[in-house]
Order: sequence, then structure tokens, then C-alpha cells
Amino acid sequence: MVASDLVSQAVVNGLLLGGIYALAALGLSLVFGIMDIVNLAHGHMLMVGAYIAILVFTATGITPLVGMLLAMVLMFGLGAVLQKVLLRHVVDEGIEQPIIVLFGLALILQNLGRVLLGGDARTAELGLPGSGMDIGIAYLSFPRTVTAIVAVVLIGATWAFLQYTKTGQAIRATAQNRTAAKYMGIDTDQIYVITLGIGTALAGAAGALLSMLFPIDPYVGWSYLLKAFAVVVLGGVGSVLGTLVGGLVLGVSENLGALYLGGGYRNVVSLLIFLLVLLVKPEGLFGSGGES
Amino acid sequence: MRLLTRRPGESLVSDRRVQGASALVVLWLVTVPFTTTDSLTGLILTGLVYVMLGVSWNLLAGYAGQISLGHAAFFGMGAFVSAWLTTPSGAGLPESIQLPILVAIVVGGLASALISLVIGPVIFRLRGHYFAIGTLALAAVIELVMLDRRDLTGGATGYYVQGDLSFGEAVSHGDVMFFLTLLATIITVAVTYAIVRGPAGLGMKAIHDDEEAASSLGVNPLKYKMYAFVVSSFFAGLAGALYGHYTLYIAPESTLAVTWTIDSLVVVILGGMGTFSGPIFGSVLFLLLDNGLSAIVGGFSEAVEGILIIAFIIFLPTGLYGLIKEYLVEEVTETETGSDADVAHE
Repeated sequence: MVASDLVSQAVVNGLLLGGIYALAALGLSLVFGIMDIVNLAHGHMLMVGAYIAILVFTATGITPLVGMLLAMVLMFGLGAVLQKVLLRHVVDEGIEQPIIVLFGLALILQNLGRVLLGGDARTAELGLPGSGMDIGIAYLSFPRTVTAIVAVVLIGATWAFLQYTKTGQAIRATAQNRTAAKYMGIDTDQIYVITLGIGTALAGAAGALLSMLFPIDPYVGWSYLLKAFAVVVLGGVGSVLGTLVGGLVLGVSENLGALYLGGGYRNVVSLLIFLLVLLVKPEGLFGSGGES
Repeated sequence: MRLLTRRPGESLVSDRRVQGASALVVLWLVTVPFTTTDSLTGLILTGLVYVMLGVSWNLLAGYAGQISLGHAAFFGMGAFVSAWLTTPSGAGLPESIQLPILVAIVVGGLASALISLVIGPVIFRLRGHYFAIGTLALAAVIELVMLDRRDLTGGATGYYVQGDLSFGEAVSHGDVMFFLTLLATIITVAVTYAIVRGPAGLGMKAIHDDEEAASSLGVNPLKYKMYAFVVSSFFAGLAGALYGHYTLYIAPESTLAVTWTIDSLVVVILGGMGTFSGPIFGSVLFLLLDNGLSAIVGGFSEAVEGILIIAFIIFLPTGLYGLIKEYLVEEVTETETGSDADVAHE
């Protein structure tokens, strides 16, 4: 039997990591819910965001939290341009074309990452003063805690943006009924550009946060795509709260899986949970979700 | 549904001249091991493996409309199961299960088919995007588990396969594997052709075009999806088994890698998805590109492949096949499909 303090530590670490998983999944969920495409390049966009933070950190020594903001701005631009130039040709054209275009984009990003930055894993360090904190049942590591807080703040900001701004309302209207939204005078093409921009920026932010905790290499894209999609499935498509809960569930179960089955099974656990939920309850554990 | 457009007289093979050309190509392929270097023979063998992967993936994705992103798992499992049977000692299995290479390769394909038969009814509860991501996850699980089972797969160090089919000095092991792969490719193409031309092919196209409508007309979607999945997985496994016994070395991180899924997809997109000869043309183009590109653009060949599939799917969704058919073989009769796709996108 595993000692109980190890279990509580795994749960706490899982919750902290789960916040970032939720952030990583939020962009995917938004794009899926609004544009009805699964962004197969989402994990690779996350990888690019991570590299931006790492590069800013290694070049200047400035905290990767600043790099994260830069990553979000740049990735918003990448997402918007992508929609304007490429995806507008294939959105609303059934599922095959968007899937293949985004698959191709994933290949391009992975290849560019490998050639330009090398295949070695790199990491950024959260260069802020301060040490961890013991809360009795577990130890809160400083980088884990800060990144989790930033992730939850960003999720909250995205929720508030969707809920209270005019653009946010327009995005939700487009998600509900694209044609009706158009008749109400909403420029839905522009909404798609903004949506993919936000989705990509959120991927970039999650990547930057992850780079402060784990080594990043050009091949992490697929694995984070699957994790993010697992969270989307757990939480239900388009539900911000569901995504947060899904992220926490995934983070905790991954850490517990690694504790009981060994580190090699960390990813297997998350994938199995994902497949199981997908098969048993494809509309997600929470939220109304999209149709399967 | 612009990707799959069935046009009258679509088949190139029905044309007598094309039959003649195919026979010539096969004849030329037979002479390859005797007239070229070993490395060129190996290259063309790889091209044949691409044909098998492309044709089998196209049956599932192009005809039955099920975009699987887990093709690599079936390729890899075929390779591993056949390797366990020819080289049981490497996996700590009893020598008594050892089989001759030829039998083991076929069993490798059957094993992949069996896996698809078991998981098919479950995974086909997923549709569209969910199916694509679900198969990607499934392949990832299989790769991770196999990587972890060092005793069975050699883990990160890989698995050395024993096999020697050479006849004296003249015909090397690689040459024999080339002939076996050529034979398997011809069988793959012929069987797939028969399926696509037959009533099952019609059922697959029906569920691809509109699953609900087909279902209401008495076409059982699951039946045809399973048919395509099992046949597709069998040929992918066969390809993996052949390739494993050509290279005589397999490893979870390369043999089960997503790369094989990417290659299958690229071959089909370049050639023309949902067209019968597309994957064959696509394999030739991909082989040339893959080797030409790495000479020209160095490490960027993967990115160029990405750019190519994006450009093809947006601007030339009927692929090379569509281009050839349009300019060389005959006029495309239904002008509202395929050829004017880029206009229709506006």
C-alpha cells in the first residue's frame, strides 16, 4: 500500500497540474464548440508557445511569465492569420478537410521546431524569489502553485470575456447558430478569426506555463493534444467550468496512476480515461456538450 | 462531400491501355532486384509498403469515410506479432511457437485484423472528429504499452528479427523480401479493387456520403465500417510484417510511431482520396518527393510534406489522380465536382 502522504501529495500536485491542463484544453474546446473543427495542431501550437517562453527566458533571463504574455500575443496572430489564409477554405466543409489541413500544420510546426531549435528537451525557470509552502497534508511547490494560479486566472478571464463583452456575446451567438448570428449583423468570418486567435493564444499560454515545470521538446505536441482533448471530452465541449473540472480530474488521475502503476503509465492512464469517457458518455461528464 | 466523387468510368484499370501499362510496371518491378543496387531495391520496397498502407487506409478513410489516425498501430502490431513468431527467443517466448517466415508474416496481418475486429465495435461508437481522435489515442496507448513491455518488444533498444530467405549468392534476403512485398502489394490492390467495385464498396460509399440516409435505406453502417476496418488493418499488418522482416529490426518508437499514419495519409492525399488508383500514384510521388526533398531541403522535408497535403487538400482535392485523369486520360465528365474545387470554395 502506498503511504497516505504520498497519495495526498499526488492529489495536490494533480490539482495544480490540472489547472494548466484545463487551460490547455480551453482553446481546443472553444474552437471545437464554435467552429466545429478539432484543432489537431493544438498540441503543436502549445509547443510553439512553450518555445517562445523558453527563448525569451534563455536570451534575456526575464521571467517566463513575461514570455508567456509575448507568446499569447504572437500566437493570437498566428491563429488569426491561419484562419484568414488557410482554414477559411475548409471550415464548414465537413470534417475531412479541416482535419487533414490541421494535421499538415502540426507536421510543419513539429518539423520547424526540430530544425530551428534542435531535438533536445529544454525548459524555462520561473525566476521569482520564494520557496514552497507546507500545508500539512502536502507540500506546495512554488512553480507548480504559481503556474496553476496563472492558469486559473486566464481561464477566468476567458470566461468573463465570453460572458460580458460584446465580442464574447457575438462568439457565443455564432456558436449557437451561425446563420442566425449572421442575420443579426454579426461578421461571423471575423468571429472565426478571433476564435482561432484566442484558441491559439490559450494554447501558447498553457505551453509557456508547462515549460516552467517540464522539459519541452518538438515532439510533445501529440501527447498534449491528446491530454487536452481528454479534458474536453471529460468536461463537455464549449463548457468553461466543465473544462476546468475536466482538467483537475485528468491531473489528479494521471498523478495517482503514475503513483500506483509507475511513471511509464502516466500517459496511458490519461488516454484510457479519455477513451473510456468517450465511449461511455461522449457528451462529456459535465455540460451539454456537442453531438458525437 | 467533395473528397469522394464517383464519376462514370472512374476506374483507370478498366481501360485496356492501363491494364497493359500496369502489366509493364509489374514486369519492370520483377526485374528490379536484378538490375539495380540493393539500396535502390530497398527504396522501391519501401514504396510498395507505402502503396499497401495507402491503399488500405484509403479503403477505410476515402471510401468508408472513417478518418482513422491509428493506422500505425496496425502496421506496428503486424510487425511485432510476426517477429514474435519468427524470433520467439527475443521476446522470451517458447521456441515451439516458431513459424516459417512466410506463415508468420500472414499471421502478423491476421493479428492486426483480429485486433481491429475486437476494438471495431467499440471504437465505431465514435463518429467523425471523435473517431479520428479516438484512433489517435488508441495508437498512442498501444505504442506506450509496447514501449513499456521491454520483455516483449525490447523497449527503447528495439527487437532484432531473425530471418534469412536468401538463395545462394545470387538472390539475397532483401531480394526475396522484395518479391514477397511485390506479391503482397498486388494482392492488396486486387482485393481492394474487388471490394470497391463490388456491393460492399457501394455500401461503404453510401455511409461515407450520408450515414443517416444510408442507414434508413437499409445499409448497416457498422457492418461496412467493420468490413473496411478489418480488411484495412489486415493489409496494414501485412505491410508491417513484411517491412519488419526486410529491415530485420523493429522498435516500438519507430515501428509503431505516428509517422506511419502520416505517411499513409500523405500518400493518399497526394494521389487523391477516395479514388482507386490515387494511393498508387501518391506512393510514387511521395517516394520521389521524400528522397528528392531530403536532398534539396534537408531537414525540412516533413514541413514540405505538411505544406503539400494542405495545398493538395485545399486546391487539388482529387490529387494527382484527378490531375492525370483530367489532362491525360479523359475529360472529367461532371464538372461540378473536383476539377473546379478551388472556385467552389469561394
